[in-house]
Amino acid sequence: MIGLGIVVLGLWAVTWYFSTKAGAAMLGQTAPTTQATDIVNPLNTTWTLVTAFLVFFMQAGFMFLEAGFARTREVSNVMISCIADTCLCALLFWAFGFAFMFGTGNKWIGHHYFFLHGAPHTYGSTGVAFLAFFLFQYAFADTCSTVTTGAMVGRTAFGGDLIYSCAVSGFIYPILGHWVWGPDGWLATMKTPFHDFAGSTVVHSIGGFIALAGAIALGPRLGRKFKRDGGGMPPGHDMAIAAVGGVILWFGWYGFNPGSTLSAMDFEGIGRVATNTTLAASAAGLVAMFFVYPRAHKWDTGISINGFLAGLVAITCPCYWVSPFGAICIGAIAGVVVVLGVDLLEYLRIDDPIGAWPVHGLCGIWGTLSLGLFATGQFGGATSTGPDPSTSFKGLFYGGGFHQLQFQIFGSVIICASTFAIALIIMYALKAVGVLRISAEHELEGLDIVEHGAPSYHPEYAYMGYSPIPSGKSPGVAVPRGADSPTISVGE
Amino acid sequence: MHLVTAIIKAHRVEAVTEALKDAGVTGMTIADVQGFGRQRGHTEVYRGSEYNVDFLPKVRVDVLCDGGQADKITDVIADAARTGKIGDGKIWVTEVARTIRIRTGETGEDAL
Repeated sequence: MIGLGIVVLGLWAVTWYFSTKAGAAMLGQTAPTTQATDIVNPLNTTWTLVTAFLVFFMQAGFMFLEAGFARTREVSNVMISCIADTCLCALLFWAFGFAFMFGTGNKWIGHHYFFLHGAPHTYGSTGVAFLAFFLFQYAFADTCSTVTTGAMVGRTAFGGDLIYSCAVSGFIYPILGHWVWGPDGWLATMKTPFHDFAGSTVVHSIGGFIALAGAIALGPRLGRKFKRDGGGMPPGHDMAIAAVGGVILWFGWYGFNPGSTLSAMDFEGIGRVATNTTLAASAAGLVAMFFVYPRAHKWDTGISINGFLAGLVAITCPCYWVSPFGAICIGAIAGVVVVLGVDLLEYLRIDDPIGAWPVHGLCGIWGTLSLGLFATGQFGGATSTGPDPSTSFKGLFYGGGFHQLQFQIFGSVIICASTFAIALIIMYALKAVGVLRISAEHELEGLDIVEHGAPSYHPEYAYMGYSPIPSGKSPGVAVPRGADSPTISVGE
Repeated sequence: MHLVTAIIKAHRVEAVTEALKDAGVTGMTIADVQGFGRQRGHTEVYRGSEYNVDFLPKVRVDVLCDGGQADKITDVIADAARTGKIGDGKIWVTEVARTIRIRTGETGEDAL
């Protein structure tokens, strides 16, 4: 009876809707007609731009995080590396990166929109302004590029840094990214597509595996002793900066994941994604904190930061398709995975000062696979007008069997292996030419002085121009009246 | 009782510490210091312009020792800190009038 009532009510509502629409069309002779896209497209474009700005702000997070975990002698280098990445990436993405990744082409590479030529008003079926979509994707590419610097802190020559950054944001990320996110990429157009909502694989695993290749090719920092040789990771110089950097990254992730709907019309979707993102990060941070506590009976700040970042990386792929409880499970496991990843690198004597591979590479893999386990089957995809449940799929734990999981494994292995192989070739080529690493002598002095001319931290009294009572000898320094008197009178 | 004071390059601290431990030294103190010797300062670059900095960062190492040990400890530090390049630093030895271990009140060599 109630069901019948609802049906009748629904019929009435539909009729009423069309009648007013018809009325509006009649009135259209005098008033301008408004189409749905006139409201939906600006709304989605605004959403995409706001989230693009948030993703861009992750640069500040990376700069802080990496600087905090680095030593004082290379802080200026960390800053300029991220600045250079950001600037380079924008120009390369404009010239051809975007064309390779998001241009139509073949299964392997896109070849439209070079230098943004021939760009339509909106991108594909998203209804988002083309250049807003470009900016959003540029911010993603920049994130991937900056992830790579993390494992290479403290010994990479700046020239080598510039060259491999060009390779990352101009070629590796866009071309491999095309396979998954391009309009006709082969992993996206398989019969059962490989899914990566916001880039656990595309952004983080790619960045993480380039970082790993870099760290292997470079070798450890001079004097770095590993755990099994009786040493350990040299402590970062500023935990306040590192922790704030981590939290800024978390904040930026609210653009990274929810923004990847490219649609504010899927309002339930963006709410779910934002909450899943938060829960996964929280679970991972706590689990990592408790997981390392028994080792020395200390609450470890550094590993807690890496912990919540690991949760964020892991939830990036499945965030749209899992439940909040699933997100907590995914994050909790990431909190353990990241610590084991750090241990593994330590055992293999690979020096990754920031933990770029355990966080981005390894937890990127875990996040990608977790979708095949935790996808609830309720959610399909986000379109410009709202959710589209028709493309939904179930993970192993929700009765979907191994079907989606095997394609998640396949995609992850393909992308990680390809990235790692290409990155190793590039890094070892740069090493052979001798531009990858600075000389031992320079490394001991520190990158800041050798590559950038000055230390980041210095006692101010050792520098000219700092003197509370000017001596009057230094040219250009105005000597205030009465400054030569031995006493300073107050309230004159 | 003597005080051996050395001004060395920061990246030699680890080597000097190890060498001193091997030589049987039970305690030492280090501090970040700024100074110049014959090397004078160096040139740095800030926002496109070069400028001279008189003081360079060094590390000061202080080791209290038995009078007879001072020469040996001086040699150990010199060998460990030497790179052969300008700016390796200096070592000097001063006589110490009195030492006391605060916790127990022991004085002289017992306080070492």
